[in-house]
Amino acid sequence: MDFIDLLDPTAERDPVGRPLAPRGGEIRRIALLDIHKPRGDVFLDELELLLQAEGIDVARTAKPTFTKPAPADLRREIAESCDAVIEALAD
Amino acid sequence: MELVALVKHDCPTCDQLLPALTAAAQRGAPVRILSQSGERETSEQAARVGLTMIPELDVDLALSERLDPDAVPAVVLFDGGAETDRVEGLQRDRLIELFEAAGATLDAGDLPAMRPGCASVTRDPAVAAAIAARRARAEGRIRSRILRIGGLEDPVEALYDRGLTDGLPVVPPTPERVVAMLEHSARDPQDVVAVLPPYGGIATIEKVAVNAVMAGCAGPELPIVLAAVEAVGREDFALHGLLATTHPAGPVLVVSGPYVEQAGMRAEVNALGQGCRATLCTGRALQLTVRNVGGGRPGVEDRATHGSPAKVGFSFAERLDAGAPFGGLAQDRAGLAAEETGVTAFAGEAPRLVADQLARDPESLAASLAEGLEQVSSIRFRLAFDAMLVLGPEHGRVFREAGWSRAQLQLALHQASHRPAGEIVRGAGGIAEGLDPAWVTDPAFPVAKFASPDRILIAYAGGDAGLFSMVIGGWVSGEIGSAPQTARVEDWLRPGRS
Amino acid sequence: MSCGLQDVLELESLNTPAVLVASSAFAQAARRQTELLGAPNLRYQLVAHPIQDRSDDELRELARGVVRELVAALSG
Repeated sequence: MDFIDLLDPTAERDPVGRPLAPRGGEIRRIALLDIHKPRGDVFLDELELLLQAEGIDVARTAKPTFTKPAPADLRREIAESCDAVIEALAD
Repeated sequence: MELVALVKHDCPTCDQLLPALTAAAQRGAPVRILSQSGERETSEQAARVGLTMIPELDVDLALSERLDPDAVPAVVLFDGGAETDRVEGLQRDRLIELFEAAGATLDAGDLPAMRPGCASVTRDPAVAAAIAARRARAEGRIRSRILRIGGLEDPVEALYDRGLTDGLPVVPPTPERVVAMLEHSARDPQDVVAVLPPYGGIATIEKVAVNAVMAGCAGPELPIVLAAVEAVGREDFALHGLLATTHPAGPVLVVSGPYVEQAGMRAEVNALGQGCRATLCTGRALQLTVRNVGGGRPGVEDRATHGSPAKVGFSFAERLDAGAPFGGLAQDRAGLAAEETGVTAFAGEAPRLVADQLARDPESLAASLAEGLEQVSSIRFRLAFDAMLVLGPEHGRVFREAGWSRAQLQLALHQASHRPAGEIVRGAGGIAEGLDPAWVTDPAFPVAKFASPDRILIAYAGGDAGLFSMVIGGWVSGEIGSAPQTARVEDWLRPGRS
Repeated sequence: MSCGLQDVLELESLNTPAVLVASSAFAQAARRQTELLGAPNLRYQLVAHPIQDRSDDELRELARGVVRELVAALSG
């Protein structure tokens, strides 16, 4: 079965779904997370140049494999050192 | 006149009857044959039994739900849409009659006279629960938004991740569980129990039931939780302040009356503690409801410096048996009859022990318990706090044998908890805290701890052995604080009162 | 593909806005995955399929085409 339906226990003021990170803060540094599929590096190289041209710092990093989620340590490190993340390029 | 036949695939009696049914249908008899089973099983059965036509599928078990047979095969005769007769199981001669009434023939000569059928799929508990849940939604008895948990999430983790728990795992509130819970209140699930702070969330019976399921409640506990929500929702309980305060207090529920047994609360050994589902889950359900429906969260709206384990939930039953020295707390405070059950909500801390192993007469025991009561918050804080004393049976016996009433004990406790002003003025004993010296003209003047005797609530619970009672310190009382509130469990069991 | 979305979800729960870039061939799968993860407003950006067969210049063009949307997904 794909889904389990549960009843919402709240007064339903908030939107449904898992909460996302708050937006609105300044983005000074973006991590570019390469999932290590072929050709992704070319795409990310160009993104790096474009973002730097906007005055945004870029940190390049990569997952060990695209077949699994990123290791928890890597995610934590990225979250601590960067304001936002672009992960690419899934095909 | 038409006929409808319901069958299912895993039923030898259906296997036996189906050839005759389908043959009659193919000869033009006005009979619809529907299977309660899935497409694959129905086709397999048709092949196995050698049918020349495959029965229709009773999609969503809609017809089965309407006709509600105990057993299949079930053949129902309709006259212009109204049922006039039915046969469940294989009763050959009755089936032949039914077909004749519809102007058709059932070629049942080689069938046995009688063979019992098999349970209708709608009698499967899981299926029945799903049907009941669907019906409840269609009829508007449940209206909560759906939280759809995808296959990539674990339902228990999903509820944590959405901030819907008190830090402990909760039971996922499926519609089936909530509908089963709602069976335990005969009132309309959309009736409003309370409007909860800080954001004015509307706690309907349905919303309370969802949180009661999450808390782990069994159905009979629901009316207790509903009465608790009603009580804490009253303006005089000051729930908003209690929720937001830095003080560790939270809602404490005392359940007094015969319903405690039906709900499975145990008022003897470990009456305030672990081991009893109804005791633990009713308190938890109240707090989950306050949190989820009201919207106040620890660390954000709830600013308690330390809080306490009791804020996960704190509910207990009074032990109103032959050994009880007085009647129930709810009966005393709100005039409920002994046969009724009340939930008294009190803004209080986690319980603290007061021991006295030697007192055998009521005066000295009252004085000893009063010393414990004086310690609520600080011995130097006077008049600002209420308290609850939970008398244990070994202590309660002293007052019962002396024939003391609750009011007598309250008076004695009130009087014995006075202290000379000079002992508790600021600076006395090298302690900065205390009474403002501007108010202390006579250091010998005895200052009351409590504003009046009835501000010491007295409940009775606990195991037979142990010369112990428990003090539950209150939060700020009086007009700027919280006043205890009592609500009746029976009001939530059945409609009619309000 | 779902690994990437899971990464985005985990990073979001660490209070770091994140967005996944994926080929347009994943449009339907992406939508379904976000539902299965219980996060229908998870951010992802599609770029025109195919990826592997494209020249370096074409890939750079794709990047230029979405950089503004990516920054928007991270800041709003």
